[in-house]
Amino acid sequence: MNYFPDEVVEHVFDFVTSHKDRNAISLVCKSWYKIERYSRQKVFIGNCYATNPERLLRRFPCLKSLTLKGKPHFADFNLVPHEWGGFVLPWIEALARSRVGLEELRLKRMVVTDESLELLSRSFVNFKSLVLVSCEGFTTDGLASIAANCRHLRDLDLQENEIDDHRGQWLSCFPDTCTTLVTLNFACLEGETNLVALERLVARSPNLKSLKLNRAVPLDALARLMSCAPQMVDLGVGSYENDPDSESYLKLQAAIKKCTLLRSLSGFLEAAPHCLSAFHPICHNLTSLNLSYAAEIHGSHLIKLIQHCKKLQRLWILDSIGDKGLEVVASTCKELQELRVFPSDLLGGGNTAVTEEGLVAISAGCPKLHSILYFCQQMTNAALVTVAKNCPNFIRFRLCILEPNKPDHVTSQPLDEGFGAIVKACKSLRRLSLSGLLTDQVFLYIGMYANQLEMLSIAFAGDTDKGMLYVLNGCKKMKKLEIRDSPFGDTALLADVSKYETMRSLWMSSCEVTLSGCKGLAEKAPWLNVEIINETDNNRMEENGHEGRQKVDKLYLYRTVVGTRMDAPPFVWIL
Amino acid sequence: MEFSNSCSSFSSSSVDSTKPSPSESSVNLSLSLTFPSTSPQREARQDWPPIKSRLRDSLKGRRLPRRDDDTSLFVKVYMEGVPIGRKLDLCAFSGYESLLENLSHMYDTLIICGKRDRKHHVLTYEDKDGDWMMVGDIPWDMFLETVRRLKITRPERY
Repeated sequence: MNYFPDEVVEHVFDFVTSHKDRNAISLVCKSWYKIERYSRQKVFIGNCYATNPERLLRRFPCLKSLTLKGKPHFADFNLVPHEWGGFVLPWIEALARSRVGLEELRLKRMVVTDESLELLSRSFVNFKSLVLVSCEGFTTDGLASIAANCRHLRDLDLQENEIDDHRGQWLSCFPDTCTTLVTLNFACLEGETNLVALERLVARSPNLKSLKLNRAVPLDALARLMSCAPQMVDLGVGSYENDPDSESYLKLQAAIKKCTLLRSLSGFLEAAPHCLSAFHPICHNLTSLNLSYAAEIHGSHLIKLIQHCKKLQRLWILDSIGDKGLEVVASTCKELQELRVFPSDLLGGGNTAVTEEGLVAISAGCPKLHSILYFCQQMTNAALVTVAKNCPNFIRFRLCILEPNKPDHVTSQPLDEGFGAIVKACKSLRRLSLSGLLTDQVFLYIGMYANQLEMLSIAFAGDTDKGMLYVLNGCKKMKKLEIRDSPFGDTALLADVSKYETMRSLWMSSCEVTLSGCKGLAEKAPWLNVEIINETDNNRMEENGHEGRQKVDKLYLYRTVVGTRMDAPPFVWIL
Repeated sequence: MEFSNSCSSFSSSSVDSTKPSPSESSVNLSLSLTFPSTSPQREARQDWPPIKSRLRDSLKGRRLPRRDDDTSLFVKVYMEGVPIGRKLDLCAFSGYESLLENLSHMYDTLIICGKRDRKHHVLTYEDKDGDWMMVGDIPWDMFLETVRRLKITRPERY
């Protein structure tokens, strides 16, 4: 194996960057394991409770970049209480103590405090990049520490976090000597922004490529910002109401025309429709467009904008665009790879803004489409069969029919055959979300055909434990299985305990699993953390008479090498 | 975040006769949601449809879909004590109720029309003549013709 000295092997490993490949390399032999671990710079931990900081540092002492994920995915939809866990502080403390040369930290669904941010900002001299996605627990004071202390900060990317905005002066905490910013995204901040500090910061950041503003940045400020940053590639527009005849609007138009490198556009919170036309001149360059927050814009204006976007690869939009609008997308955006259509009417008003027709049109018109998230009011098996035929290259297919258990609206049949066609045709499918009326049959298809499936989301589907068993037995590459409101119980849960060692996690809420089933599982698999989340009763479950047969409201289990976590709140019971 | 579990049986409209009968341990779990399409007071759930909180909030604040005629009437809205105001298109609302609902959501506090009391924020407006008036006394259409701007008063302290 080792005809080459270690340095050469290490140099070869430098070209291997994906963590999956790196993990594979480290399994080849002891010598490669050793070389690999000393040379790994980027570490990805998909579940922060699967391991701990000490083990991380023992194995990868030279790490420079760490990605950590905390809460399970369904936390995005308010199914996991805020205090559940996923605290980043212990990790930062351990990294700080060990004097690792941390340069990049990416966190998703974790609890971050101002204290952690302060410690982070002071402990790592070369810290460059902070990306927080769907995190919570911190305020703008924490951001102020990052701004003030990280001398070489390149990226500050805050995506959809819940941040307590103290309306302070965090932006003015960037020292005048800070000129290294490449990414600045504070779109999720709800409070006022110090516009003067912002403009000065942007003016002294010649490398700034990505700027995403919050709603407190008005149009005239936007015009000034764009004028001094014509090198912008990725822009998130803040509040976009305006009077189209004003001087600011004219200035904005002029500034936009100069931004010839602009490829990605987002934001448009509270937008007035006629203002979108200011962006028409650069639309032909756009590869990414996110209008999912532009709730005020009528379908017709969206369509006018999109007609100019011939190079679009990624489009996130609201269903107010309608089937007609999607047909325009299908005929205009031939390079489209990823589409997300979000619902605009949460109360299910019955308006059929987008239907199966829009989905079929997209599948027919966009040959490069590989990822879709589609919220709609109705679907048919025939449409899904057509979509499968048109797009056998789907990697991610997520369909959400807004009304649970809704059958094919033409035939009144379950949608088993439609989804079956998708999994059969799309041999590279890695992620799937199901909806509509579904029986055990769809799971039979998934188990049979979805060989590459890694993540499956199930809601209000199936009839018996057989459904879940088909999936557990069939999908060899399953990593994350999340199920809600489906009739799967202990039999399925306990059938093959060793399966959970090959998966990252399993979530089951409002299903049929009982306490005794979960206890049985925990006994058989000590290497699993079996967590029962029960907010209402706070573990009065034990005191009730029918202990064993009591149904568990929320079950979350995951493999771990470090046993039971010590930071669980009282309503989480780890068996 | 618990939603009240007062969920009644939701009979699915499926007529699939080949559907196997549920085993004794499985309850028909298509019960969990009521989506009565005719009920005027639809409860908005926090966990369905599966969208992130930020998007959910942004949609809640959304006004009624515009009519195609594109008329608009933007007025300034101030919360007493807050120097920076907002702007609102009154033409997008169907009446006082939806205006109040939207304002209450925008400022994250209950706002009412009518008699000032100690507890609540009350909505007032400046009319064509420059006078400050209580919102809600005149028909909505007439209100749209005379309103110049809105002010939300703080609850009284005395």
